Amino acid sequence: MSIPLLICDDSNMARKQVARSLPDDWDVDISFATNGEEGIEAIKAGKGDVLLLDLNMPVMDGYQVLEAIMKQDLPTMVIVISGDIQPEAHQRVTSLGALDFIQKPVNKEKLTEILSAYGIFTQHDNEEALTVDIEKPAVIDEPPEHIELTPLTQAADVAMIEKEESTGDFLLDVELRDCYQEIANVAMGRAGDLLARLLDVFVVLPIPNVNLIEVSELSMALSDVEEQDSTSGICQGFIGAGISGEALLILNDSSFKDVASLMNYTYEVDESTELELLMDLANVLIGACLNGVSEQLDMPFSQGHPVVLGQHKKISQLIATNSKKWKRTLAIEISYSIEGYSIKCDLLLLFTEESMRTLNNKISYLLD
Amino acid sequence: MSLETSQINELHWLMEMLHTIDVGLVVLDRDYKIQIWNGFMENHSGLLPREVKDKELFPLFDEIPKAWFKRKAESVFLLKNKAFTIWEQRPYLFKFQNYRPITGAADYMYQNTTFIPLMSATGVVTHLCLIVYDVTDNASHKKDLEEANKELAILSQTDGLTKLFNRTHWEHCLQAEYKRWIRSKNPSCLVMIDIDHFKEVNDTYGHVVGDNVIRHISGLIRHHVRETDVSGRYGGEEFVILLADTPLENANVFAERLREEIEEAVVKYNDIDLKYTVSMGIAEIDDSIESYEAWIASSDKAMYRAKAAGRNKVVLHPKNSTTH
Repeated sequence: MSIPLLICDDSNMARKQVARSLPDDWDVDISFATNGEEGIEAIKAGKGDVLLLDLNMPVMDGYQVLEAIMKQDLPTMVIVISGDIQPEAHQRVTSLGALDFIQKPVNKEKLTEILSAYGIFTQHDNEEALTVDIEKPAVIDEPPEHIELTPLTQAADVAMIEKEESTGDFLLDVELRDCYQEIANVAMGRAGDLLARLLDVFVVLPIPNVNLIEVSELSMALSDVEEQDSTSGICQGFIGAGISGEALLILNDSSFKDVASLMNYTYEVDESTELELLMDLANVLIGACLNGVSEQLDMPFSQGHPVVLGQHKKISQLIATNSKKWKRTLAIEISYSIEGYSIKCDLLLLFTEESMRTLNNKISYLLD
Repeated sequence: MSLETSQINELHWLMEMLHTIDVGLVVLDRDYKIQIWNGFMENHSGLLPREVKDKELFPLFDEIPKAWFKRKAESVFLLKNKAFTIWEQRPYLFKFQNYRPITGAADYMYQNTTFIPLMSATGVVTHLCLIVYDVTDNASHKKDLEEANKELAILSQTDGLTKLFNRTHWEHCLQAEYKRWIRSKNPSCLVMIDIDHFKEVNDTYGHVVGDNVIRHISGLIRHHVRETDVSGRYGGEEFVILLADTPLENANVFAERLREEIEEAVVKYNDIDLKYTVSMGIAEIDDSIESYEAWIASSDKAMYRAKAAGRNKVVLHPKNSTTH
């Protein structure tokens, strides 16, 4: 009998990555869920004796899933696989009954190690075949399920190539958007972790927003900044072989007071202290986020010097671009907020249109 | 050439380039003691590498605020992250003199800096590389541009002859005051001033003298108004003053004082001594005035009544009795 294993992640790419990272020769019956609600349903239907669970998901996130499992005493063993690598996130999920925590992007060695450590997966050991809660022995002879996933990945590549050809169209291919979102998710987690350590707080991680937009419509596309809010911003260019763009950090002016006290700055409402704070935040967030992206794409980036976009301005004034060269940009928006404080901070990664070819190539490697 | 020689050569060239590059390179250890000091740093500081080697940074350069610097550096050591500082935040890290007698635009070199973590083989950040860029030209150009824009903004709002606000800008201010009044209902008065028989002055003495009269009255207006009042040149010999937060009675006192002073003054030009008078109309904003244009019309009407009543007078626009 195969073990019913459930992978619950809103990202298609992440689901595939997890499925491909399962130990070889493991007889499992894989099901997928794209959010917490579907996940709970699947567990109830007996499809999830083992649950590999993401944290940041729409509809119902990972924390809520863990709570529901505890409350309803559902028969499943949970391992969290998340880009949110703050120490406190780790603590929270284990206190909610998760067995362990694996950081994204997941790799086969780590996953196998953890699955073995908890006795969920036993290597080449038919006699001692493990019994999960519900006493279903793992059988190892059958071919592993995940091999069937390969054609799926190829299909994704084809979709991407088609996308590249039809440049006239402003819609981002669903498959591709999902990949970008997952990369952003991991990078965001890296930056969030540093921010959490710098400020000693818990950072609430959102679901990154990925869009292909017109540069001139950038300010309107920012979902988390109110048009009338007074904001300050910093911009930093980055470039790697074939991929370039700018990172923007936009902070709501009402956040400065809290940021200052968290960073132990004596805050007198003046522009120079605010600029210091903004620079410190930018150094940490932009740097870590780019590192996260660069790690996943296996490509180093050089960073230019930050440029002050402005202080105490409306968002539309802040990012009034006069660039004629770039028409469209791939925009990844990450809105950080901090638990218990009124800090709102928007990190934007804007890639040039030309970068997308290289990005897409790199992503197809990631999917292979 | 053997492989080894070529590698040694490459290394040698690389060292030479790092020493010569027009960018400051410094390596600091965990205790902020200087380990590497390239040619740029040597030339601008006047300190030789052997003089600074293994010396702590802060006693050598007391312009570097220790707490500030450490805050940036410690986060680089801890988080293994790059950090950047820009001249807007702090004009310079090292106080290097401007070294170009002709094209150097500032007293000191403006600097951007980058802090880079240097890792040991074990992955621990043991050292920190400091890169110092000379951005004096950028900074001074940006400052010049800001200054020029500020001047342009003033120029575009000012009347050349009188240095009072020009009509466009003044009307803009009046419109804003009108909108403010709708919310606050604080009393505000608009004073319209017209020089009596100005055409005769021009016809008799010429435009140069006419201009002098205009300069004279605008000087008096500037002298009399408070900082919060907005005064402008409305037309040729017509002037306007917006007295914010002022009821009609007080505006009348103000206007009478100005009128008297003008009546008593003498404008001198070469051997010409000239006296002139003005007619004024004042309108306080109230509910019967439905737009800022109507407000102008009301004070204008009062001013024409002053003309009709024999000039050199202040006439008040009747307050709307229905509001009381």
